[in-house]
Amino acid sequence: MSTEPNALCFGQEFPASGAPSLVYVEAHGLTVTFVSDTSGRRSEVASFSDLTVLAGGQDHDQLVLKWTGAQGERTIYLKNPDMIRAFRQAAPDHMADPLERAVERVRQVRHRRRMVWSAVGGVALAFMLGLWFGADLLVELAVARIPVEWEQKLGQSAYKDFLAQQEIMKEGLTVSAVDEMTHRLTAQIPDNPYKFEVTVVKSDVVNAFALPGGYIVVFTGLMKKAGNGEEVAGVMSHELNHVLQRHGLERIVKQLGLVAVVSIILGDQQGLVSLARQLGVELLTLKFSRAQETEADLTGLQLLYRAKIDPSGMISFFQRLSEKDEGRMEWFSTHPMSQGRAERLKAELVAMPKLAPVPFTFEWAKVRESLGVQPAPVP
Amino acid sequence: MKGEILYPGAFPMVRIELAAGEHIKAESGAMVASSPTIDIESKMEGGFLGALSRKLLTGEKFFFQTLRASRGPGEVLLAPTVPGEIVIMELDGVNEYLVQKDGFLAGAESVSIESKMQSLSRGLMGGEGFFILRISGKGMLILNSFGAIHKIELKPDQEYIVDNSHLVAWSATTSYNIEKAASGWVASFTSGEGFVCRFRGPGVVYIQSRNPGSFGNWIRQFIPVSE
Ligand SMILES: [Zn+2]
Repeated sequence: MSTEPNALCFGQEFPASGAPSLVYVEAHGLTVTFVSDTSGRRSEVASFSDLTVLAGGQDHDQLVLKWTGAQGERTIYLKNPDMIRAFRQAAPDHMADPLERAVERVRQVRHRRRMVWSAVGGVALAFMLGLWFGADLLVELAVARIPVEWEQKLGQSAYKDFLAQQEIMKEGLTVSAVDEMTHRLTAQIPDNPYKFEVTVVKSDVVNAFALPGGYIVVFTGLMKKAGNGEEVAGVMSHELNHVLQRHGLERIVKQLGLVAVVSIILGDQQGLVSLARQLGVELLTLKFSRAQETEADLTGLQLLYRAKIDPSGMISFFQRLSEKDEGRMEWFSTHPMSQGRAERLKAELVAMPKLAPVPFTFEWAKVRESLGVQPAPVP
Repeated sequence: MKGEILYPGAFPMVRIELAAGEHIKAESGAMVASSPTIDIESKMEGGFLGALSRKLLTGEKFFFQTLRASRGPGEVLLAPTVPGEIVIMELDGVNEYLVQKDGFLAGAESVSIESKMQSLSRGLMGGEGFFILRISGKGMLILNSFGAIHKIELKPDQEYIVDNSHLVAWSATTSYNIEKAASGWVASFTSGEGFVCRFRGPGVVYIQSRNPGSFGNWIRQFIPVSE
């Protein structure tokens, strides 16, 4: 038999954490040997008739034996299942009664706990299934609980990582033109919780994208393709509205599914940010849904209208993109086309009261020239 | 394996000497410095999904780090995130402790650490989250607290009442009931007074002299609210 301690013994002279001891179950009762005793191994004996049997400890699954011996009150805690079994076999039948009751109670507690947790798991699973089958309401509920600061943290890290590998346009006609558009648009957003940052990146990619938290990138390729400033402003208004409607977050929450919902519900939003990173959710290639595109188009149109920027620029730019050329693929890779996008916007615009647009202060031809586009007439 | 607390008080570190081949499990992010002979393994116990669900349900750090003296003997310096005391305990093989998740700093390889699911009511009201750590085995266990750490010794059937957010660790031989601190359950939920645990001995209960939640609330009043 092992000489490792298998029980804790409590008594007046022992430390509060108990004395490690070795319990043997014998025909008459117990022998308890205190193994930490430096003055040789001291043993005490208790017969079954002296013992009070209880269940105790954190989960009421430890066998507690109490008696008053020659050395005072003793309490033994046994948790080793083999020891508990040995005691039940050796102890007289009447002693087994309280023990059986205690064992039964532990079983019930465990069973109840398992039931409760299964129910919790079921609810979580229902949430996941709900998400899976497109219950957008749940996504929105979850997204609404994420503070803007977390969103900014998430977007900012992707934004910095991306810009670190790009050639950024810091000044010049293009940058001041983009700044003017940003100003005109953001001035018309009531209760804007975001501090928008717009960066122009030198690249022939015909695209622009918005990261959660208000970080927007416009490629010079898109500006070269645009026929006037209003077209670029139309794209920017669309991007700003992806941010304002929190489309990026909705996509992330949808992609992460259960994981995100559970963590948000449990209030662990920081966890979501690191999870998104650890799971390698590529913010930059996050593809919006068609419904989100339509929403960004429509709210973008309204924003242009409020900013007194001619909204027909947005429409003509989308028409330009749907013509057959290599640039369209880049835009549609992250902003999926919805059928009759330009037509829908046109219809929307007709329904709005007539607008007297205020032109931009820059000359678009000069901006294009500064980008190296020949001042040829735009088709 | 030898542990020594440096700079005892509010800002301590612990130095652990490892013989060649020995390793310890530490809270991820606890390592401050080490000899070049020490390798860090961030093993995800229970695989990726296990680690993920643990992370989600416990808010626990994604993994424990294993610090292994794989290239000869060496030492590591570990420190907790929050200011507060560190205690080194020697587990005797029979004593078992339940530790709230922020209380664990490091443990010897022979110490077993498992996440234990609480009952739902304890999880909701106990303040230690839905999971706590059950730590058993034989060898060195290092705990840390927010503020000073205080040991309460309970004889059999002796009772003591502890505010649950001050709990660090307690023996598995104790038992406790959660009680309301204020005069009604609704009052407890709304007053922020929280809940208390009525512990019953035998065993020891380690408590911390500061409440992380209250400290957070106190700090918050000085943080300007952005518009
Ligand atoms: Zn879009």
